[in-house]
Order: sequence, then structure tokens, then C-alpha cells
Amino acid sequence: MVRLRTLVWLALRNLGRELRRSALTAAAMAIGLALLILSRTLADGAHEDWIDAGVRLGAGHVTINAPGYRDSESLDDRLSAAQLQASLAAVADAPTPDPPLASVRVTTRGLASSPEGALPAWIVGVDATVETAFSKLGEEVTDGRYLEDGDRLHAYIGAGMAERLGVRTGSRMVLTAQAAPGDIEGQLVRVVGIYRTGVGALDQSLVHIPLGTARSWLGVEGATTVAVLLTHSSFTDAVVAGVRGRVDPAGAEVVGWPVTQPDLYSALKLDDGGDWAFHMILFAIVALAILNAVFMSVLHRQREMGLLRALGLSGRETGLVVLLEGILLTIASGIVGVLLGLAVVWFFLRDGLDLSGMWPEEFNLGGVAFDPVLYPVIEARHVVQSAIMTVAIGLSASAYPAWQAGRLDPAESVKVE
Amino acid sequence: MGENRRGSPGPTTGPVAEAGMPSTEPAVRTTNLWKIYPQEPRPVEAVRGVGLAVESAEFVAMAGPSGSGKTTVLNLLGGLTAPTEGSVRIGGQEITALTDRELARVRLNRIGFVFQSYNLLPMLTARENAEFTLVLQGVPARERRERVRKLFGEIGLEGMEDRFPLKLSGGQQQRVAVARAVLGEPDLVLADEPTANLDSTTAESLLDVMEQLNRTRGTTFVFSTHDPRVMERAGRLVRLVDGRIEGESTPSGT
Repeated sequence: MVRLRTLVWLALRNLGRELRRSALTAAAMAIGLALLILSRTLADGAHEDWIDAGVRLGAGHVTINAPGYRDSESLDDRLSAAQLQASLAAVADAPTPDPPLASVRVTTRGLASSPEGALPAWIVGVDATVETAFSKLGEEVTDGRYLEDGDRLHAYIGAGMAERLGVRTGSRMVLTAQAAPGDIEGQLVRVVGIYRTGVGALDQSLVHIPLGTARSWLGVEGATTVAVLLTHSSFTDAVVAGVRGRVDPAGAEVVGWPVTQPDLYSALKLDDGGDWAFHMILFAIVALAILNAVFMSVLHRQREMGLLRALGLSGRETGLVVLLEGILLTIASGIVGVLLGLAVVWFFLRDGLDLSGMWPEEFNLGGVAFDPVLYPVIEARHVVQSAIMTVAIGLSASAYPAWQAGRLDPAESVKVE
Repeated sequence: MGENRRGSPGPTTGPVAEAGMPSTEPAVRTTNLWKIYPQEPRPVEAVRGVGLAVESAEFVAMAGPSGSGKTTVLNLLGGLTAPTEGSVRIGGQEITALTDRELARVRLNRIGFVFQSYNLLPMLTARENAEFTLVLQGVPARERRERVRKLFGEIGLEGMEDRFPLKLSGGQQQRVAVARAVLGEPDLVLADEPTANLDSTTAESLLDVMEQLNRTRGTTFVFSTHDPRVMERAGRLVRLVDGRIEGESTPSGT
């Protein structure tokens, strides 16, 4: 213990003697770590944003359908009224800190037509109140309003569809689809509002109509989909597992957003890969900075290393002095880097990082439009991971010079001028 | 290869050899010590069958021309380099077969070093340099401080305790190095040309210090030197030529 304390003392004195070099090395590591933390928190924030935008416009973090519905998209594969009630009860008991928001939907593919033409349509019957909180499609309104309670024969359509069909708020149009009994049925609706998401395919095809209207028009009692919105995507797996345990698997299939939105999931994975490569480059830079500093330090102090051996340190202990210098330097840099990183993140927490200048006007990924302002999200797990990685890299980079220091021939080393 | 390398051990010079069986082990004894560096086109025999015994409290100088093997012999005595063949015993303990860790302990507790170019640790003050071996030996801080204070007083380093090596003259640095070498109370102090970088006044003064320590504390000194002043003061002068002991004398008449 006395010896270890002495070795730590020696390492500290060495770092103090080469203060400028130590400070530059520590600064390189601390800035590297701070950048890493900023990059990871922005990535975490962006990813959560993307997931949030995707699941709100899609089928939620968790989706409950009748088995086969995701492939057939047919009203034949729908949840019965009993299965719907069981599903809603299971969602209400889901293991999340805040109660999830469940949106009951009747969805079908059909045709939207006006005197000027017809377009394929993705028609979704929704509860207007729930959907206002869920999809936020109402916030994208450019004319008129979103659906409200009490609406019956009304529709909320995209700007692309309105332009192609030559309709505007107040116009009438006809929706046509195959009803549950098998007949093709038409439904006259009046446009109450027009939205623009920035995603061309959505703006041309997605139509929201009241849930009651969809049920009566299509002859459906239950629903095709229960879309569940959570407060954070990290709860997805737990909720999927919890709901699966409560519903009859023969009557309802429960899946998470990676299954219902594979394009978005792939895009995020691809982005993660890019982040990983960026982080590896940062780590490599940090590692080289430390390796260079510690190695040069050992080369310059070869005579001292020999002297330490002559004075009674073993080769291993002499190497340990060098390793301890690396350890102390990386720990100090790690603390400064985390504090610096969090300070920079805090700076961006309120107003975010605005990338609109370098972002296409209608940027979408996996069919979802995104906000060009990135807001960092601090996930303690990732901050700790980054700090541990930096310290580990620092230690690894110190290990080789330490090993070299331990192997120096003391008789030769004391002669080095 | 030398003539004695594979045969019987070479003669051991010194009082022990002359006096026959010693009553106690000498501070250091080497037997048929060889050091051969594998080099092209042919190996270099730096030390060839050296047998040397130094009694406790002796003041021995090894003299010889450059390349005669003085520093190599000191390195072998101090366990800083391993012999190709032969034996080194410090206070009766054979050190040639020890592990690196065991050798480090021997150097810490039984051997002090003084080098030609001072070799103080630049990040430590004079006091910290001097007490370094005491720190490693686990001597309590209060006792360390007291021993340093006393010795610094004896060797003219009062008031220099908190100076860093760069703020000390060459002579002062070498005194600190001597203090560091003797403070751990080793069996043996090995000094490699300790006066080579000093002017004559400073060198005389340093020799006074070492003589005094030898006399008052009974510290055993073995020097390598070119310096006639060191040779004159040595209790025994061992002459080394081409890695071999060519003879010895007693210049100071002791």
C-alpha cells in the first residue's frame, strides 16, 4: 500500500512537472469526450424525435391488430368488439410510468374521388379527441380544421390530395372501399380541413374520417387497429410483452414500432452505424493523442526510468508509474470531459441545434417528416458509456508505453543523456 | 572467451582473499564474473573473470582506462545488469539468480548508487530525492525528515531541502545523490565516476563528505574513477584493464 501510494505520488509529480504537455493531452481527451457526449445526446434526441414523428403518423409505438391484418390489410382480419375491449384493458394496465394513449382505428385502402378525378386513398377512421393528442396531424393544418367530436360525414385530407382532386375546405368528395360484408360501398364526405406534412405520399393519400362514420360505412363493430402511444420509445418492448401476456394470441397480434415501421427502424440503425463510425474516429484521435503524449514522455525520461530501477523499483512498478500517469490523466480528463459535454448539451437543451440551413425543405426518412432542429436528450447510460470508453481507451493507450518502460534495461537507461 | 570462464573461478582480490577464511561475509564478493555483449562481428567481453571482495566499511576505487569495464563491473555489483557468468554476493546473498522483483528489493535495501551525472529525479525537491529510498522502505515521514535534516547538516546542504535539482549546483546535486545513496543505510554504495563532472574544489569537498560518511557511519564505498584525487584517497585501489583486474594497491596507506 505504501508502495502504491508512492507510485501514485510519483505519477502525480511527473504529470505536474510536464504540466503543459499533461494539460494539452487532457484537453484533447476532454474535448473529445465532450464532443462525443454532445454527438450522442443529439443522436439520442434526434432518434427519439424521429421515432416519435414516425409512430404518431403511423400505428404508434405498439400496435395491436388481428393476426394476418398487417399482410392482408383486409377488414376480414379485424379485432372483434370483445378482442378490442380486452386489448384496451391490457393497454391500460401496461407497465409504464404514465398511462399510454390508445387510439382505436378502422383503416382501409380505397379510392377518393371528386368530379375532377380519383386517387388511391389510405382511409383511417379515428376518434377525433384521442387522435388530436396522438397523431398531431391536426397541427399540420393549412386550411380549415382537424376533425372534432360531433363530426360525422367529414374528412381531413392532405394538400396533395386536395390539389389532385381539385377540392378545398367545404368541398364534397366520395370515398369508396370494400366494406366488411364484401360489397363495394361509397361514402360522401365533406372536407373540413387540409394538412401538409411535407411527405408527398402521405399528403396525397391519408384521409382521416370519424371512427363512427367508418364503422357504419364499412360495417365494422370492433376495429382494425389499436395504436398505442408511449411517453418514450424505450418502453416499447416492455409494453409489447405486457399486452401480449393479456390478450388471446389467436385473436390479437401485438408488435412494436420496429415491426410496423421497418423503414424507419432501418434508417435509425443506419444512422447508428454512422454515429458509431464517427465515435470510433473520435476514440482513435483521443487514443493517438494519449499514446503520443505518454510514449514521448517515457522516451524523454528513459534515464529517470533507469534511475527508479536503481533506487529499488522493479520493472513492473516502473511501468506502473507510467500506467498510473495515464490513469490519472484519463480520469481527470473524463471528469472534465463529462462536465464540459453536459455544459454544451445544456446550452442546446432549450433552443436545440438548428440544422435547417443544411436540411432539405421537406426532409423525410422512412416516410416520416422531421424537424430540422435537433434537441439533445441526456441518457445517463450513454453518457456513462462514453466516459467509460474514453477512460478505457486512455488506459489502453498508456499500456504500451507502460510496458515499454517496465522493460527498459536499467544499466543502459541511466546512461541516456 | 576468457581463460577462466569455463574453468575454475579466477582469483578473488581483496582482504578476504588475502586473509583466508573471513569471519563474516564481505559487503560484496564476486567470483569469476563475466559480462559478454553479443555483438557483430564478434561478442564483446566487457568483464572477464573478475573476482573481487570488498569488506564492510572499505573505501575502494576501481581505476582503469575508458572501456576497461569499470562501469560494467559496478552495474553487475548493483544488479543493474546480469552477468553472463559468475557470482555476485551482497552481504552474503547471491543476487545473480534473483527475479527482477527480488533484485529491486536488494537494490532498495542493500545498495546505494551515485552516478556521474547526478541523476536526481527532477520532479522532486532535494529532500524528496534524498528520502526517496526511505519512502520506498516505508520509513515514517517524521523519521525520514529527521534523518534528512541531520545528514543535510553533516554534508553542507542545510537550507537546500526544498530546492528542485535545477536550482542546485552540480556539487550540491551530487551531495544530494550521495545523501540519497546512504540514507537507506545500505551495505554498499556504488559510485560511478562521482567527481567526473565537478570542478576540483567541489570534487574535493564531495570526497570529504563520502570519506566522512565512510568513517563515521561505516558505509562501504566502491568507486569507478579516472580521477587521481579519488584514487589517492581510496583505502584500496583496484586496477582494471580490458575487463580484467590487473592488480591493486593501498594508496592512502590504510
